Amino acid sequence: MFEMDGEMDKKKKKKKKINKKEKMEGMKKEMDIVSKRQTPQGFRGLTSAFAAQVLERDGPNELKPPKGTPEYVKFARQLAGGLQCLMWVAACICFIAFGIELARGNVTCFDNLYLAITLIAVVVVTGCFGYYQEFKSTNIIASFKNLVPQQAIVIRDGQKNQINAHQLVVGDLVEIKGGDGIPADIRIITSQACKVDNSSLTGESEPQTRTPECTHENPLETRNIAFFSTTCMEGTVTTGMIINTGDRTIIGRIATLASGVGNEKTPIAIEIEHFVDIIAGLAIFFGFTFFVVAMFIGYAFLEAMIFFMAIVVAYVPEGLLATVTVCLSLTAKRLARKNCVVKNLEAVETLGSTSVICSDKTGTLTQNRMTVAHLWFDNHIHAADTTEDQSGKSFDQSSETWRSLARVASLCNRATFRPDQEGVPIPKRLVVGDASETALLKFTELTVGNIVDYRERFKKAVELPFNSTNKFQVSIHELDDPLDLRYLLVMKGAPERILERCSTILIKGQELPLDEQWSEAFQTAYMDLGGLGERVLGFCHLHLNEKEYPRGCPFDPDEMNFPTSGLCFAGLISMIDPPRATVPDAVMKCRTAGIRVVMVTGDHPITARAIAANVGIITEGSETVEDIAQRKRIPVEQVNKRDARACVISGGQLKDMSSDELDEALRSHPEMVFARTSPQQKLIIVESCQRLGSIVAVTGDGVNDSPALKKADIGVAMGIAGSDAAKNAADMILLDDNFASIVTGVEQGRLIFDNLKKSIAYTLTKNIPELTPYLIYITVSVPLPLGCITILFIELATDIYPSVSLAYEKAESDIMNLKPRNPRQHRLVNEALAVYSYFQIGAIQSYAGFTDYFAAMAQEGWFPLLCVGLRPQWEDVHLQDLQDSYGQEWTFSQRLYQQYTCYTVFFVSIEICQISDVLIRKTRRLSVFQQGFFRNRVLVSAIVFQLLLGNLLCYCPGMPNIFNFMPIRVQWWFVPVPYGILIFVYDEIRKLGVRRFPGSWWDQELYY
Amino acid sequence: LTRDEGKYDGWRTFVWNSEKKEFLGRTGISWLKIFLFYVIFYGCLAGIFIGTIQALLLTLSNYKPTYQDRVAPPGLSHTPRSLKSEISFSLSDPGSYMKYTETVENFLAKYDELRQADQMKFEDCGDSPMSYTDRGSLDSDQGQRKACRFHRSLLAGCSGESDPHYGFKDGKPCIIVKLNRVVNFRPKAPANNQTLPDPLQTRSQPNLIPIFCKNKRDEDVDKIGEIKYFGLGEGFPLQYYPYYGKLLQPQYLQPLVAIQFTNLTRDQELRIECKAYGANIGYSEKDRYQGRFDVKFTITS
Repeated sequence: MFEMDGEMDKKKKKKKKINKKEKMEGMKKEMDIVSKRQTPQGFRGLTSAFAAQVLERDGPNELKPPKGTPEYVKFARQLAGGLQCLMWVAACICFIAFGIELARGNVTCFDNLYLAITLIAVVVVTGCFGYYQEFKSTNIIASFKNLVPQQAIVIRDGQKNQINAHQLVVGDLVEIKGGDGIPADIRIITSQACKVDNSSLTGESEPQTRTPECTHENPLETRNIAFFSTTCMEGTVTTGMIINTGDRTIIGRIATLASGVGNEKTPIAIEIEHFVDIIAGLAIFFGFTFFVVAMFIGYAFLEAMIFFMAIVVAYVPEGLLATVTVCLSLTAKRLARKNCVVKNLEAVETLGSTSVICSDKTGTLTQNRMTVAHLWFDNHIHAADTTEDQSGKSFDQSSETWRSLARVASLCNRATFRPDQEGVPIPKRLVVGDASETALLKFTELTVGNIVDYRERFKKAVELPFNSTNKFQVSIHELDDPLDLRYLLVMKGAPERILERCSTILIKGQELPLDEQWSEAFQTAYMDLGGLGERVLGFCHLHLNEKEYPRGCPFDPDEMNFPTSGLCFAGLISMIDPPRATVPDAVMKCRTAGIRVVMVTGDHPITARAIAANVGIITEGSETVEDIAQRKRIPVEQVNKRDARACVISGGQLKDMSSDELDEALRSHPEMVFARTSPQQKLIIVESCQRLGSIVAVTGDGVNDSPALKKADIGVAMGIAGSDAAKNAADMILLDDNFASIVTGVEQGRLIFDNLKKSIAYTLTKNIPELTPYLIYITVSVPLPLGCITILFIELATDIYPSVSLAYEKAESDIMNLKPRNPRQHRLVNEALAVYSYFQIGAIQSYAGFTDYFAAMAQEGWFPLLCVGLRPQWEDVHLQDLQDSYGQEWTFSQRLYQQYTCYTVFFVSIEICQISDVLIRKTRRLSVFQQGFFRNRVLVSAIVFQLLLGNLLCYCPGMPNIFNFMPIRVQWWFVPVPYGILIFVYDEIRKLGVRRFPGSWWDQELYY
Repeated sequence: LTRDEGKYDGWRTFVWNSEKKEFLGRTGISWLKIFLFYVIFYGCLAGIFIGTIQALLLTLSNYKPTYQDRVAPPGLSHTPRSLKSEISFSLSDPGSYMKYTETVENFLAKYDELRQADQMKFEDCGDSPMSYTDRGSLDSDQGQRKACRFHRSLLAGCSGESDPHYGFKDGKPCIIVKLNRVVNFRPKAPANNQTLPDPLQTRSQPNLIPIFCKNKRDEDVDKIGEIKYFGLGEGFPLQYYPYYGKLLQPQYLQPLVAIQFTNLTRDQELRIECKAYGANIGYSEKDRYQGRFDVKFTITS
């Protein structure tokens, strides 16, 4: 951990150095050019030849895709999981055993070779499966990449050219206007009301002004640098000089930072490793025990060694890998249908175990679109409809004041819709203009109606755009009534500035003098709206005197030859980037599911807090330390921090906190909001959560999120708004950018965890009836009851479908009301599961198999007691007249086919018991009757499939000599049925006990 | 490194946790409880298992096998058995064929006249092939059944009475052939002569399963010389059938045929296939001992 931090520090320092150096370089070059310039029009830019040289030196201006892991490494990684390693070891053992057999001259025994080949085949095939999944989702991501290359206007050789943005080089002069993407890191040289949207880089949703002045040391804070991949929101022709291109841009550096963060093991991978430990332990234990037993009985060392290997190999659940892979990919598919694309199969489950979600605000929780949220007029705060589809309730629009306010808002607005968007719903239309004007435009379009037409009616006489010194915007219009020749002056701006200029206030259509009382009312409303984290604008108007300002009066915006005081105050309108409609519900669901949602944003603390409160991350009634201090009127230091449920920490505060303090804060405040955080701080927050033992999901879309996405146990990137860097770093992608999809992911993840448990229990059970024949064969020397090929058929053919069908099982209880599993306590495969499957159900299945085996042997003439110790003679190839219990003489081949009959009978017994097994595995706690026998259609069809395949194997001609299956008598199918019923009844009793006596000995030992 | 140590420590506390007095994660009481549970559990299971097996055995007859589809048609087995799939010996080294003559001697000991003296157990069934001897139904009502005598002297030159070396010493080895026993199996004589090899067609008899050997490989046709058949009618006479099983006919002797290869080419590997011919004697691709066998001789001088 410390090393990690150290590294980060070093990186940071290094970065700063590089930063400064490059900045210096950039500045020097700029100086050269600046000294040559005469007028702003005199920029000549680089010469094409020089640009070509620089291009050759620096490479194209594009983010190098993170050094993609070579495909073969990706594939090899698929072959190196926990289970895969187990299978490799088993395959090696098989080869060794085969080698030993071959060396001893036993040429006939190819079972070990087949087994080894099958094991390898299974690993490779499932590896291909996983690889394909990864490949497919990578393709989905790739399809999101912009197909149209970004264009940029560059000045070279004194001429403006439009070229591909990746041709740009350091030193190039570029021109940007509102709506353009910034093609590289540039330093602004000239600008006019230029604003950029830095949300993809810093997470701030507010557009930032860009001017040629350097205002800060830190390149991220200074106003004269615009960054690659951000967009210019407004402003006419801004010129800038490129100071960094490609991977050397700020965004490129963050992307590189992400690639430096190691990937965490997924919880399911940890679970599988734990499980492999159990399996391997048991296998070696069993193998060793029987090795000793075999030596004791009197086998030769080499023979005992072969037994040892065979037992270890028999313990490997060959089918499990396939089952797990298929179950996971089924869920991945199901999730993809619900717009969650999973890049890594194992990540499917991770969301299910997630206990903390660190969510980015802008774009994930919010719509990433300024929208009018509240209005204050007639001394009331009215709430506007902020839903995405305008399905919410609107406010009372009958008041005369509203009409005036709407008129001001409509007219005093420079934003316009882009053309040709008639079919698009108003909130989704593209607009030219800054965020708040856009919001107002859309709002008025929705409430007043056709604004273009409306503005036509009120012809604009003059306009003074917003600037930072005045902090207001004013325009003068003719009235739509042709008889009324007065001019109308409309003004909007910072509320306090607007109020200063007003002498009256409009209340219910009446102009009342603006006295102390109204001033106070205004102050309260302003504070209230500001406290909601909203951006508030004031609006006022004035009908100009007809005589003083007749038609055609020459208004001059520079001289302001019109009144700017004594106006009539119309009202306040406040805007916010509102939460997505589905988010509060989703956050609520997360909360009931025991998942903490932590907001981590680059935005302002007040806005962050307001949105957090809005979506339920900070619940009603929760207070921060500051709130308590304010309520109790005591200093902040005296408040007991534990009383505060909520906590808002800004990046500045975070910088001064030690990791212990951060841990403590996360531990003591259940509701956390981090504001104004940098990419590194996001990483620190994620690490802190992980230190506290949480499994952390991080959602984000910006490049700034990508290191945290990578560090998280599961990174969730947004498909639409998300940057490529974020998508590359993430494990999962929400195609619809909807936070609510995460809840689906959580639900599916939890379900698959439960169902995998069932599948694994089902798959493991038959290991015992596959192993015991061999153990009995060694110790009691009966003819071999179950052959290796038959086992492979059970593992890889008949039982795969039923075990996969358990993935379709519905949840037993409302899994979204449970706490996330504790990764240390609730294991995928715990001892109870292994013990119950192996030593109870597996034992019953073994008995069923042996009953059927002895029945088949006895009915053909070999009584049980005769079988004991028969092995050496039975397997003697040259003995052609071995006597059975009736004195009949059998040739070797006759005995061999009888042995195959036994294999088949044992196979059938396992199949019958496994049908019972799959039925009991449907539930772990509920009775199967409560769960419904036929509700899982897939499972029913799986049982039918299993039976049909079993019949096919038994009765298809030619099977005896290819796969050692014999057509067996009908009654042998029914011998194991009572055992199947026994399994079912016993498990129902177990579940009854578990339900009736929670916490009892029975529950502890038998609930898995 | 620290992680490994942690793991090792974890193991140690797992094996014996002195704090909680836990051995392998359980206290003594806990172990006792779980042990008791499994004793009861496996006890019940074993009870059920033994019960089912007992019930199964009750359904079986002690005299008549429930099914015989795996054991019939019968195999044809021979003594001495080929070891490592061939019979090879050297005339100059008596030790090389000792093992063969010994097994034949042991095998034929059952057929000593003295052993067949008991009139209560044996009876004479005639000197020429005759039809089946019916000794009643396959159950215990009539108690034990008699068996037909088969004197080893019927095997003449291969009986071991005149030549204790069964021809091995002279390079003319005898092998004794028997049709494997199958309870209640009545072999049928060949239905028509057309299917038989030429030499047999002339000397076919109605109640006899004839046996005939020939070279397996065509190129050996001149190398195997004359083959002599000894026994009652040079085949398996039908009066010895059916067999009533181990309980009803413990002393049963199945008829034998001795085959002597009188003029095998020396110092060469020769493959000979012998087949028994009968209407219900079948052969199988996969089972080289069903109704036939092949044997490889290598005699060195």
